Amino acid sequence: MTMIDTDDRPSGLWRDAWRRLRRNRLAVAGLFIIFGVVLVAVIGPWLSPYDFLSQNLDVRNQPPSASHWLGTDDLGRDVLARLMFGARTAFLVAIGVTVTAVFIGVSLGAVAGFFGGPFDRFVMWFTDITMSVPQLLLVVVINASLKQPISQWMEARYIETLNPIYRNSTLIDFVLVFGSMALISWPAYARLVRAQVLSVRNRPYVTAARALGLTNRIILTRYVLPNAMGPLIVAVSAGLGTAMVLESAFSFLGVGVTPPTPSWGNMISDGLRVWTNYPHLLVAPAAVLAVVTVAFNFLGDGLNDALNPKGQK
Amino acid sequence: MLAYIIRRFLIWVPSVLLVMLGVYALAFYGAGDPIKLIFLRAPGDVAYDPVKIEAIREQAGLNRPFLVQFGSYIWNLLQGNFGNSLFSGRSVWAMISAAAPVSFLLGLCSIILTAVVAIPLGMLAGLKQNSRLDYIILGTAVTLWAIPAYVAGPLLMVLLLVVLPEGSMPYGWGGLFSVKIILPLIVLSFQPIALILRQTRAAVIEVMSEDYVRTARAKGVPELVVALRHILRPVLTPVVTQLGLIMITIVNGAIFVELVFGLPGLGRLTVQALINSDFPVILAITLIGSFLVMASNLLVDLLYPLLDPRAADAKGAR
Repeated sequence: MTMIDTDDRPSGLWRDAWRRLRRNRLAVAGLFIIFGVVLVAVIGPWLSPYDFLSQNLDVRNQPPSASHWLGTDDLGRDVLARLMFGARTAFLVAIGVTVTAVFIGVSLGAVAGFFGGPFDRFVMWFTDITMSVPQLLLVVVINASLKQPISQWMEARYIETLNPIYRNSTLIDFVLVFGSMALISWPAYARLVRAQVLSVRNRPYVTAARALGLTNRIILTRYVLPNAMGPLIVAVSAGLGTAMVLESAFSFLGVGVTPPTPSWGNMISDGLRVWTNYPHLLVAPAAVLAVVTVAFNFLGDGLNDALNPKGQK
Repeated sequence: MLAYIIRRFLIWVPSVLLVMLGVYALAFYGAGDPIKLIFLRAPGDVAYDPVKIEAIREQAGLNRPFLVQFGSYIWNLLQGNFGNSLFSGRSVWAMISAAAPVSFLLGLCSIILTAVVAIPLGMLAGLKQNSRLDYIILGTAVTLWAIPAYVAGPLLMVLLLVVLPEGSMPYGWGGLFSVKIILPLIVLSFQPIALILRQTRAAVIEVMSEDYVRTARAKGVPELVVALRHILRPVLTPVVTQLGLIMITIVNGAIFVELVFGLPGLGRLTVQALINSDFPVILAITLIGSFLVMASNLLVDLLYPLLDPRAADAKGAR
């Protein structure tokens, strides 16, 4: 490198990683796109003059125009407003699923790797099995079989407490989607954390901590787990993207978020029915989903290079 | 070697059984009463007549304990009997064997297409690492990997709508040698191609720094011969081990591709079964899909020592 680094602040792992990330133009572009979509997801509904649910049957299936930038759908709802609310759905699901899956995966993986033995073998066997079932089919089964029991349980709670939150069908969808997707996503995190824990658990500083008489919990959380943070962040950024795609995939199949709550997936599947006459109803959500998934992938690759410089050669 | 095969197989069987048990339990406890599901659709008030319901339940053996029913389900599976559809009453096996050839042919062609396209391109990208060509190939691969089949398919269709004359849109199934298969096949192969391409590229870059490659070059072996004889073979080993992952991407992708392009395969059957909550069908397809993936994982485990003798030593020692 010929450029002299004028930044003479102390360089830690994160500062170095950030510097490497900023140099990767694709990753930065991805970061900007994701940031923009998050912003839209948070403040979107206040940006649009239209409500994502309000129907106006006088303006059905309109092509993009000055008053409806992306046109309207078969019920005269503004497509842009629905897309913006879809961003909220996508991120809610992505964050909820990833947080749950990381929690399960990190706890199981860390404990399995740290203590080893039969528990470790069992957890690894179980992750192998879960990873070898096609995810889509597993979620379809989980969703199809748990939908009824959960709705019944919610209805019973409603009768008991008369709290209207238990009658909210969107909530049932979200619980089901979060649950079933978290159940298929945790093994990747468990494997990753276990491998990291295995690689450091016999290092001298861990032995030293043990010699000092620290409890296993403190050794695990203060000395061992922080070493897994780098790869975990890469995995989480990729996982957020995957969860978003999965959510739209399930909504596309009709087992995810159900209408009228807009999701990019169910907008694509609605658009697919009428695309020969009204291609804009298909192209708009499909293009948004494509751009966002590509953005997540570029960011994930960039983070991978930035946080694991050894892998770059 | 034989001991290794037997050991792998002995680990494999309980895994398959556990998957079956899990899926069966979900359907058993979650699906609701199958008798009611059948007779709610049938004419008459049978569904609300507890005496008749009990009699039918007794006759079908549905009042037995969970594990007994699971055992008899497995026993029937081994004899090729998947039960009957709750919705149409047809034999599930007949429905599956009508739909399976479509998905199977599509998947097989997709694997072949993937191997033919991804391995040469991946080698090219790896041999010319960090060149403009490498960036173009890799960038395309990342993009193809990221875009799911139900987005790529419709977008391609919309694009083609502009180019193609009215009414000649590929839709439906016309057999393996019909033009209609081209678009679904390409869309289905996007993700596997991207996966194998990146894998091949990474493997090539790693192998290129090996001593024997440098020796061959120093001896003046032509670049093409080095690529084909010294690099290709070790590169194929890690690529073959990705077979299980490819199977997962293809099984997942086929569901969407069949739905988007109107192909009468297993994917469409799944979605229809899901809409009708037809549990015997969902159960059977999930089991077949998982079995396919787990079988290819087992195959990879068994083939691996043959491809890479070093791995056989390492695994034998374990």
